[in-house]
Amino acid sequence: MTSLNHETVNGTLVLKPSRRIDSSTAKAFEDDAAALLDKGPKKVVIDATDLDYISSAGLRVILTTAKKAKAAGGGLTIACAKNNVKEVLAVSGFDNIFGLHDSVAQAISALA
Amino acid sequence: MSAVTAGEAAAGPADRLAALEAELANARAELDDLNLLYQATIEHGEAVEDQLAEANLALQTTQKRLTEELTEAANYIFSILPEPREAAPRTEWLLVPSTELGGDSFGYHEIDPGHIAFYLLDVCGHGVGAALLSVTAINVLRSAALPNTDFRDPGAVLAALNEAFPMERQNNMYFTIWYGVLTRGTGELRYASGGHPPSVLRRADGSVATLSTPGLAIGMLEGMRYKAASCMIGAGDRLHLVSDGTFEVETAPGEMLEFQAFVEKLSQSESPAEVLDWVRGLNGPGPLPDDFSLLNIQF
Repeated sequence: MTSLNHETVNGTLVLKPSRRIDSSTAKAFEDDAAALLDKGPKKVVIDATDLDYISSAGLRVILTTAKKAKAAGGGLTIACAKNNVKEVLAVSGFDNIFGLHDSVAQAISALA
Repeated sequence: MSAVTAGEAAAGPADRLAALEAELANARAELDDLNLLYQATIEHGEAVEDQLAEANLALQTTQKRLTEELTEAANYIFSILPEPREAAPRTEWLLVPSTELGGDSFGYHEIDPGHIAFYLLDVCGHGVGAALLSVTAINVLRSAALPNTDFRDPGAVLAALNEAFPMERQNNMYFTIWYGVLTRGTGELRYASGGHPPSVLRRADGSVATLSTPGLAIGMLEGMRYKAASCMIGAGDRLHLVSDGTFEVETAPGEMLEFQAFVEKLSQSESPAEVLDWVRGLNGPGPLPDDFSLLNIQF
C-alpha cells in the first residue's frame, strides 16, 4: 500500500522517509502520510535518519502533514536530521516551529 | 451457383431462366450495395481526414495563442522588475525562470528620501499560478498596499504580508522572502526573512556575512511574528539577494551544492552573469531545476 517506512509507537506515527523528499517524491510522501493519519494517529514524528536531502517541495509536504496532524488535535516534530537537512530546516524556520530532536524517543516524548 | 436438383431438372427451361435471372438481379443489387458502401467509406475517410486536418489546425492555433499568452505574461513580469539603479546604491540583477513563468520576483524602491527597501521573494513551485501570486505580492510591496504598516519596519512588513496571504486563501501557495531597508543617513540596514536563504554581505574589507532571521515562509501559519535584525553598511560593501533555486543544483548525482561553497563563489563574483555561468556549469546541460534570481546591491 504505502511505500513510506513507518511504525506506530505508543499511538505516535513515526515516518521514516528515505534519501530525498524533493519535487519527484513529495507527492507520494504527502499521500502516504495522509492515508496513515486517516487511520487514527494524531501525533507525527519525522525520523530523518535516512534523509539526505529535502527540497522546498519537501518542506511543503511536511507542512501539510503537520497541518493535518494539528487539525486532528495532535502535532508534528522532527528527529535525527543530518546537518545539511538541519540547515534547510533552519533556513525555512521549521526548526523553531516544529522542533528538532536527537532521537525518536525524545521526539515522541516532546509531543506527549 | 447451386447444383441442379431433381425437382429443378424437372422444371422447364423457361423456369430455369427466370430463376437464373432472379439470381443475377440479386447479385447485381448486392454489388450495387457494396459499391455504395465502398463510396460511402471513401467519402467518410475523406471527411475524417478533413476533420483531423481541421482539429490539427485548431490545436496549432490554440498552441500558438497559449505560447503568445505565456510570453505576454513573462513580458509583464519582466516589465514590473525595476531598472538597474545607476545612482548609489547601484544594483545589477539577473532572473532566469526555470519554465516560461517562474515564482521568483524582486524589487527595490525609495520608501521616502531617507529609506530604500530591497526585497526578493520566491513563491513555492513555478508556472502560471506561482507567477500570479509572485506579481501580486511584489505589486503590494511596491505600492505599499498593506493596511497600517510601516514599510521601514521589516518585521511589520512580513507580519502584514503573512496576514494578507494565508496559503488557505492562495490555492495552498506560500512564498519565502527577504526584505531589507537601508537608512541612508546612518547606513543602518534592517532586515527580516521568512523561510528564505540568507542574503550575502561582502564588506569592502573582503569579510563575508550572511544575513537572515528565523521565520516561516509567508502564508504558512497565521499569526506569526517576524523579528528584524540589523547591521551597519559602509561604502564599498556589496549585498547579494538570492532565491534557493540559485544554488540548489546537483554537483554530482545525489550531491547538492553546499550553501557555503555558493556563498564563497558569490562573494568573489563580479556579476550575476558570472554566477549563473558557474551554476549552469555545475548543473550540466538542460534548464536549471528551479528559478535563478540574483540581485546585487553595491553600496
